[in-house]
Amino acid sequence: MLWLFALIAGILFGLYYALAALGLNLIFGVMRMVNLAHGDVIMLGGFAAVLLFDRLGINPLITVLLVIPPSLLVGFVAYYLLGTRVQRSRDPEMMSLVMFFGVSQVVEALAVIGFGNNEASITSAVFGSKPFSIAGQGVPGAWLVSAGVGLAALILLFVYLYHTGLGRATRAIMSNADEARAVGVNPDRISAITFGIGVGLAAIAGIFSLFMIGGTTPSEGVGLTVTAFAVIVIGGLGSPMGTFLGGIVFGLALMFTQTYAPVWSGFAPFAILLVIMLVRPTGLMGRSVRSV
Amino acid sequence: MLIPRTRTVGLAALSALLASGLAACGASSSTTASSGAPKNIVIGTLYSGSGSFANSSLPEFQGLKFWIKEENAAGGVYVKAFNKKIPIKLVALNDQSSTTTATTLYEQLVTQDNINIFVPDFGSVLTLPAVTIAEEHHMLLFDQTATGAPLFTPGNKYIVLCDLPLSVIWPDPLAHFILAKHIARVAIIYGANDFDATQAATVKSVLAQGGITPVYYQAVPTTTTSYGTLLHDIAATNPQAVIELGYASNDIPFLQAVHQGGYHFGMVMTAFPGQQFSLIEGAVGKAGLSYTYTYGVPPYIKFNTVSEGLGTNAFISKFGGGNIANVSFENVAGYNTGLIIQAALAHATKFTQLSMRAALFGLSGHFTTLDGAFQLNSEGGQVGELLPLAQMLPTSSGNAIKIVYPPASADHSAVYPAP
Amino acid sequence: MAQRPRRQLVSDALMVVLPPAGFFAASFFYNNQLLLLTMMVYVALAQGLNVIFGFTGYLPFGYVGFFGAGAYGTALSVHFLHVPILVAVLLGGVAGLLVAALLSPLLRLTGAYFAIASLAAAEALYYLVSNPQLTAVTNGPYGVNLASVYNSGAAFDAAVILVGIAMLCVVWVRRSHFGMSLRAIRADPLSARMAGVNVVRARTIAWLISASLAGLAGAIYAWAISVFYPEAVFDLSISVFAIVFALFGGVGTVLGPLLGAIVLYGVYNYIGVSQPQEFQLIYGVLIVLIVLFLPNGLLSIRLRRLRRGR
Repeated sequence: MLWLFALIAGILFGLYYALAALGLNLIFGVMRMVNLAHGDVIMLGGFAAVLLFDRLGINPLITVLLVIPPSLLVGFVAYYLLGTRVQRSRDPEMMSLVMFFGVSQVVEALAVIGFGNNEASITSAVFGSKPFSIAGQGVPGAWLVSAGVGLAALILLFVYLYHTGLGRATRAIMSNADEARAVGVNPDRISAITFGIGVGLAAIAGIFSLFMIGGTTPSEGVGLTVTAFAVIVIGGLGSPMGTFLGGIVFGLALMFTQTYAPVWSGFAPFAILLVIMLVRPTGLMGRSVRSV
Repeated sequence: MLIPRTRTVGLAALSALLASGLAACGASSSTTASSGAPKNIVIGTLYSGSGSFANSSLPEFQGLKFWIKEENAAGGVYVKAFNKKIPIKLVALNDQSSTTTATTLYEQLVTQDNINIFVPDFGSVLTLPAVTIAEEHHMLLFDQTATGAPLFTPGNKYIVLCDLPLSVIWPDPLAHFILAKHIARVAIIYGANDFDATQAATVKSVLAQGGITPVYYQAVPTTTTSYGTLLHDIAATNPQAVIELGYASNDIPFLQAVHQGGYHFGMVMTAFPGQQFSLIEGAVGKAGLSYTYTYGVPPYIKFNTVSEGLGTNAFISKFGGGNIANVSFENVAGYNTGLIIQAALAHATKFTQLSMRAALFGLSGHFTTLDGAFQLNSEGGQVGELLPLAQMLPTSSGNAIKIVYPPASADHSAVYPAP
Repeated sequence: MAQRPRRQLVSDALMVVLPPAGFFAASFFYNNQLLLLTMMVYVALAQGLNVIFGFTGYLPFGYVGFFGAGAYGTALSVHFLHVPILVAVLLGGVAGLLVAALLSPLLRLTGAYFAIASLAAAEALYYLVSNPQLTAVTNGPYGVNLASVYNSGAAFDAAVILVGIAMLCVVWVRRSHFGMSLRAIRADPLSARMAGVNVVRARTIAWLISASLAGLAGAIYAWAISVFYPEAVFDLSISVFAIVFALFGGVGTVLGPLLGAIVLYGVYNYIGVSQPQEFQLIYGVLIVLIVLFLPNGLLSIRLRRLRRGR
């Protein structure tokens, strides 16, 4: 039953990829900023979990809660320090790309100074050393925990965006910043909060990258950023539901090619992205935009 | 629209800028005295201060620096051509694991820094750009650990491989071990890169001589970091031995996945735990490594009777404070590169690149260091320092790396199948 | 086309001729030729990006895909067609063009969708070229060896000419009727179409020019470095560097990307040589500071001063 395992693994990894991409989508949707340092935040989340586990024996699930306050703070400071200035440039979307490329370099360099160049990880035994049985397939416990946290994050984000005042204001800015301002929404405040949430989601994803992709290392940021971008584009920019779908598509593409044609498993997810783009130019769940 | 005059001004400014920028890049000091012996022997090298190769490159760089420190403390390195000791000066630049950056920095070393000895960065990917530059500028490349086939061509006189055998012969003892143990069902998964694909092909062809066809033989992208599904499919072929040939960044998630998925195979082999033991044990845990196999490398293979430099135990005590856990293979490799340079300078009758090469070919087969027997093939590839098979066996204080095959160099018998 | 003032023609000609002449002259008093060559390659890439992004607003993150296609186009031409190297280099440009033609449906996408889709295309192309199952064609992960045609001096001269071609393309796009229609499309595609501009055709042409420049750049780079693994010519950081250089200098202008590539790549190497330990940190901080204090690119300094002067 190779296909059944690929299906289960694809969905579980899909939820992890969705988690890894959610923050990026949120930041892009609200601020139109291209956060090339997203993957580096994921990397930092991984190191946070490793350090807290090694030094203080803190379970990675507790670390999920612990990374949220500093992430919000970092997001806030980063937005007011860097984001607001870029927002005032002639082409914020593109200049943010250049700036975050610089930020990504700085974060990676500081991570090397702080943590060294070695790959760090936590033994997966923290989530049970025996695999769990799902539909007769033995699935590692760590995968289930990671996917569960990914799903929870999605649901919470959904509730936040659709059932709270801040969330509604956030969505108002996503659809039209000028109109939102006209009805009294402060875009800077909302953007800063959103940036914090985005950073927090990335850091949480980093904790689980220890179990899904084997560990964390200062140089892994770029690859993760690329994957996260692929996921949000497949699903459609600005839509958390789309990111969920994008993650699942990416996960399934990877796991099915790993099963039936491993040598093509690097190629397939990107080829599928291209096909989806040609059929639906704004992703699976993206709002259609005027095109010529 | 801009008026034309400003544009011309812009161009003038541009030319000035170009000139000043280049002048800055070109600033260098000549260390060669006008006649006779140079004041310093200048060694030029690159290291990766960050990026995917940093965890191998930096320890190797440390090894080389250790050798330089030792020599300079003794008054410099002996140069036969001038019959005296000359201090060593090191010029080291950081390529950040980027081949593009490495390419321009290699050229920088060769054209701007007046180096006498050209030492590339770790591994085939970062060394390859240096090969063309070395040949073009007639500099002998003291290739440290780049073992891929494209580096060595019959016409190129300007390369010697110092610290590892060519990757095509790495897995020879491994394959013969499998035949000796009569393991019939073998699964091989390898990274789609020159280094790993070459090794996989060697294992496959040696096994074929023994009449064994792998039950699973697949390449995966070098960027693969999720092995759970792949392992599930491998397990479905019911293998007795699973061999994963990748970089450390592949071995770690692979070993994690074996552990995570609760898989049990008679034999699991990965390439890097021998070379980066503490790093990988730290990432996958002691239990994740127990009873798995890897390439046996120095300092786990010991050479205490040597013709140049420190022997293994002396190196462990001097470099690692007596603790083998502080010494990685890359440390030994970097130090050994220094020893090869030392030998070249000590035996070359003239202070020229080709004379150094001739000296090393003269020493080939008569020369042993803590890295093993130094022996070159006609293209400068290393064929002496063979890699035996090692197994990680649990002890009360963690895993110990024991050489288990071939019998001649074994210090322990293999525990097969793994309990 | 309307008669242009003669002074403008002269200055245009200077902008095409002086940059390559400057690089050529530089090679006489600075002999890290590979650094100069790589800088020229980045000038060509930044200008190629300028053609597509500066004049149409389409930003291909995966621009390196054409660079890699050019490198492999040249290598395959040498190995299978046994053509002279200069022909092989031109075929490298053609390879970039063909890949772009194949990917032209991506122009239906907009903004970030286009940027990421082109990135996916470059990644897919890399995984295709480096695939062990295609070893018979591309030599797969084992890389390429062009030692049989290696000629560092000639490759350098080719790069000099490439800079001239890149400058010519941008000057032409900026001055020509074609360039005007591109700008009209960028400003407002609907009205441009009403005014009779063939929007799809104009964008596609810009796309093909841009990709051919990258293809030629990849071809010459491959020739110059001679042996390489596939990851060396499909390295995403080549895309990122070219984009950063072009944006830093200022896109939509003729001199901006040229200056951006020379200044930032020069600074990159200066830091790399003088401060190897803190290379990455210093370069990262520098880029952040540049964006914070010069958010509209290098050429904005001059524009600002001009405005103030008036």
